[in-house]
Amino acid sequence: MSIAPKGNAVCEDLLRVEEVTKIYDGTIKAVDNVSLTVASGEIFALLGGSGCGKSTLLRMIAGFEAPTQGKIFLAGEDITHLPPYQRPINMMFQSYALFPHLTVWDNIAFGLRRDHLPKEQIVARVESMLSLVQLSQYANRKPHQLSGGQQQRVALARSLAKRPKLLLLDEPLGALDKKLRETTQLELVNIIEEVGVTCVLVTHDQEEAMTMASRIAVMSEGHFLQLGSPDDIYEMPNSRQVADFIGNINIFDGIVEEVESDHVIVRSADCSHYVGYGMSGNSGRAVGVALRPEKILLSKEKPAGKYNWCDGEVTEIVYFGAYTTYHLKLNSGKLIKVQTLNNARDLSGNFSLGDRAFAQWSDLAMAVLTQ
Amino acid sequence: MNSNMIKWCSRSWMFAVYFFLYMPIVTLVIYSFNDSQLVTVWSYASMRWYAVLMQDSDLIAAVVLSLKIASFSAIISVFFGILTAFALNRYKRFFGRMLLSSMASAPLVMPDVIVGLSLLLMLVSMQHWLGYPERGLLTILLGHALLGTAYATVVVTSRLREMDGQLDEAAMDLGCHPWQVFSLVTLPLLLPALVSAFLLTFTLSFDDVVLSSFLSGPGYSTLPMVIFSRARLGLNPSINAVATVTIAIVTIAVIASSFYSAQQERRRKREQAQAYSDANT
Repeated sequence: MSIAPKGNAVCEDLLRVEEVTKIYDGTIKAVDNVSLTVASGEIFALLGGSGCGKSTLLRMIAGFEAPTQGKIFLAGEDITHLPPYQRPINMMFQSYALFPHLTVWDNIAFGLRRDHLPKEQIVARVESMLSLVQLSQYANRKPHQLSGGQQQRVALARSLAKRPKLLLLDEPLGALDKKLRETTQLELVNIIEEVGVTCVLVTHDQEEAMTMASRIAVMSEGHFLQLGSPDDIYEMPNSRQVADFIGNINIFDGIVEEVESDHVIVRSADCSHYVGYGMSGNSGRAVGVALRPEKILLSKEKPAGKYNWCDGEVTEIVYFGAYTTYHLKLNSGKLIKVQTLNNARDLSGNFSLGDRAFAQWSDLAMAVLTQ
Repeated sequence: MNSNMIKWCSRSWMFAVYFFLYMPIVTLVIYSFNDSQLVTVWSYASMRWYAVLMQDSDLIAAVVLSLKIASFSAIISVFFGILTAFALNRYKRFFGRMLLSSMASAPLVMPDVIVGLSLLLMLVSMQHWLGYPERGLLTILLGHALLGTAYATVVVTSRLREMDGQLDEAAMDLGCHPWQVFSLVTLPLLLPALVSAFLLTFTLSFDDVVLSSFLSGPGYSTLPMVIFSRARLGLNPSINAVATVTIAIVTIAVIASSFYSAQQERRRKREQAQAYSDANT
């Protein structure tokens, strides 16, 4: 009796966007030939600055905009031309868009009532949603009687109530203040994981994307710059734009001197970089060497060896409590940032303004940027 | 000393303005209780003219006609106001949008005399060619609805503009067909604006004399027309009584509605404060 289920083929990719392009007014390319797949159960983030096309892409998935070209599939079914009210997709809006004339209870029940579910089922579903977001005692309030964080949870409950195949989050924490954000972020991920819904979120906040998503697409000018896991994108940015966008980074401009299968040597104005992995391309080409501030070690003694160190003058010290950021002016005049962890209470070993300091790093700390 | 002076000056200026604005009305109300046949001479207080008013069938007919026209034209205005405001607010590009948006507000700035005259000319030629419509209730109604639609459009548009556009999308996202979006979300949220648009256009129609004069036919005189024509023939104190009754009704309505909205606002504020203190504990 081992007959494979028919018509319900196991579908690894829940959402598939195929070469989608959106052109406004005949000329403005908001989204430019983008393809992506999102696996079932995944939290996928579209990250980018304003006007990069991330919201347009999200709105096309939701059905509020029609792609100029390309197709969108959900669970194998072509939904490109389905109106939003026929898609098994729900969205949590940036402004939450809670209906001001309805109570919390009615807001959550709104979508269920449109499906004409039996009454008991609606009641059960709403109650379970309310307890999921811990708002049971606020059921009879109107949205304006709730705080920002509570409104956000109502919006989440409302978008999950219909048990969508795909949940879309548009800047889910954009309207909250910073302190509330951090706790809400984890809460949100916990709830999404508890429900097990697949999720595409749009954000301009790289921290938000990194903490919430399992995969991130960095977008700019309508196309993907890089697509990968948060640590891929953080540790191995593939371009200057991505490196610049995600966190703090020092970029040394240099020329490739030597390319081998196991290492690359890049010469920049202040030092020679020995990169501990190989790359394609010939020597002589101009590249950038990206180095995160926290991967640099500061010392007072000159390091041994000829690679991967440079020296300079401490021009600024910014104390953050857990760590300190030093600004180092190199001999060529280039400024780099170095972050040191304040893991000892005794700060006597630290540097002061005007000190000469040597910065060194390991041969796997760098990423070579070819574009 | 100096600031006292300024305070005193500004206060007396305020009273001067109030005096100028409201003294005529106060005088009118007082004189409506005058027994004298002459409007300007006070004899003694009585309800005589209110009794006369009850007997005045012309005047009562005019009131009934005015109320009819005002309520129907307000309903028509609000209906078309919603449609126009919706089209202008939701659809950013369609053929003739510029024309519609400027034409919708044209009656606001056009002198009533011009609107009335042009409507009259149109009706006269229509009657000549088609034999319809006879000037009367219907034509006044149409004129008032025309003017009212412009005002209703302005009121509804401003409300639509401040509404969160994402609400529509949220409704659609949750499974609403476009017409359900309208009936379940947009309409309930527009309700306060619709009520004020109705009241505004009702009042506009109720006290219009210019358009009505142009558009009415024999046997159809609205209340302002009757008052106006009688005032020209020589004032009869019963007019004072009519005015007083109107003022009383309007005042009660205004006080009631502002009391209600103030109460709503207070409740809303209190609930909001409650929400924040709840969230912080």
